[in-house]
Amino acid sequence: MTLRGKTTPLARMDDAPNDDSWKNWFQRYGPRLLLCARQWTRSLADAEDVVQDAFIRFWRRQRGLGGEPLPLLLTSIRRAAFDRARREQRRAAREQETEAGESAPLFEPLAVGDERRMAVEAALRRLPAEQREVLALKIWSNLTFEEIGGQLEISPNTAASRYRYALAALRKELTPDFCHG
Amino acid sequence: MDDDLQKFEAELKALRPAVPSRELMGALERRLAPRRMGGLFWLGLPAAAAACLLLVLHFRPEPAANRQPPATASMTETAPALKPVAADDVLVDTQDEGFVTLADGTQARRTRQSFVDTITWEDPATHASLRWSVPREEVNVLPVNFQ
Repeated sequence: MTLRGKTTPLARMDDAPNDDSWKNWFQRYGPRLLLCARQWTRSLADAEDVVQDAFIRFWRRQRGLGGEPLPLLLTSIRRAAFDRARREQRRAAREQETEAGESAPLFEPLAVGDERRMAVEAALRRLPAEQREVLALKIWSNLTFEEIGGQLEISPNTAASRYRYALAALRKELTPDFCHG
Repeated sequence: MDDDLQKFEAELKALRPAVPSRELMGALERRLAPRRMGGLFWLGLPAAAAACLLLVLHFRPEPAANRQPPATASMTETAPALKPVAADDVLVDTQDEGFVTLADGTQARRTRQSFVDTITWEDPATHASLRWSVPREEVNVLPVNFQ
């Protein structure tokens, strides 16, 4: 009996880099992974540690498994982030790290109108975590609602609802100028 | 979703997530660099080759005339479309095996780590899942500098 899933290339077909090296792959997908990791960790340093471990594990042993690599990596990152959070709870609170993580930008600065980027970041940080993580997975990792549901162990409908609430809340908070370009 | 919300969604998509720090790239580069193998590895190669040869001789395929049609052919066609959905590895033991001398005479430290890797596949259509756990040993040989 064949139990192999349908084998697909390392990245999604539509935007897969031709080069097989980890650097090319990571330069392309690393920022998305880090952004998602930051939704589940207390600081930028924690997020980078979690991404590092998950990526090493993926690149050495899991990339030959087939299937979509991004959801697999995100699952790995999320679990590692939660394990880390549990360990952290047993330690002293690391408030300074939290503050440092919150101040580090989530997105690359814009050449023109960077204050809009900052406004979006500020609004994003004020969203409930459950909405923010759906937004990050949908918008910046291009996951489907079904994939997001699988990641977060919620139904695709719930994922879609949270996404719509998040978008509406962000739009409400940001100035009309931004919304209409 | 209304037009305004779609425009807003497009605005958000245009934002590029911040790139990881140089420290993270450096750490990945160090950890993904090709590993150096010590003298023991090369000594082990002939033994491994001999073991493979024995296995091949022992499990030689039957002549084609005696071969039955594969019984699993129809099962393969109806096999579930399983996709990997989770992959975990749990570190269960670490042993520091001390210093070893590499082929070029430099000193290195060898550590042996035991993991249990678990991979879960799932068929999105039926939600049938398969979990596979396997023990794994990882030997790391890291060159050391006594300066």
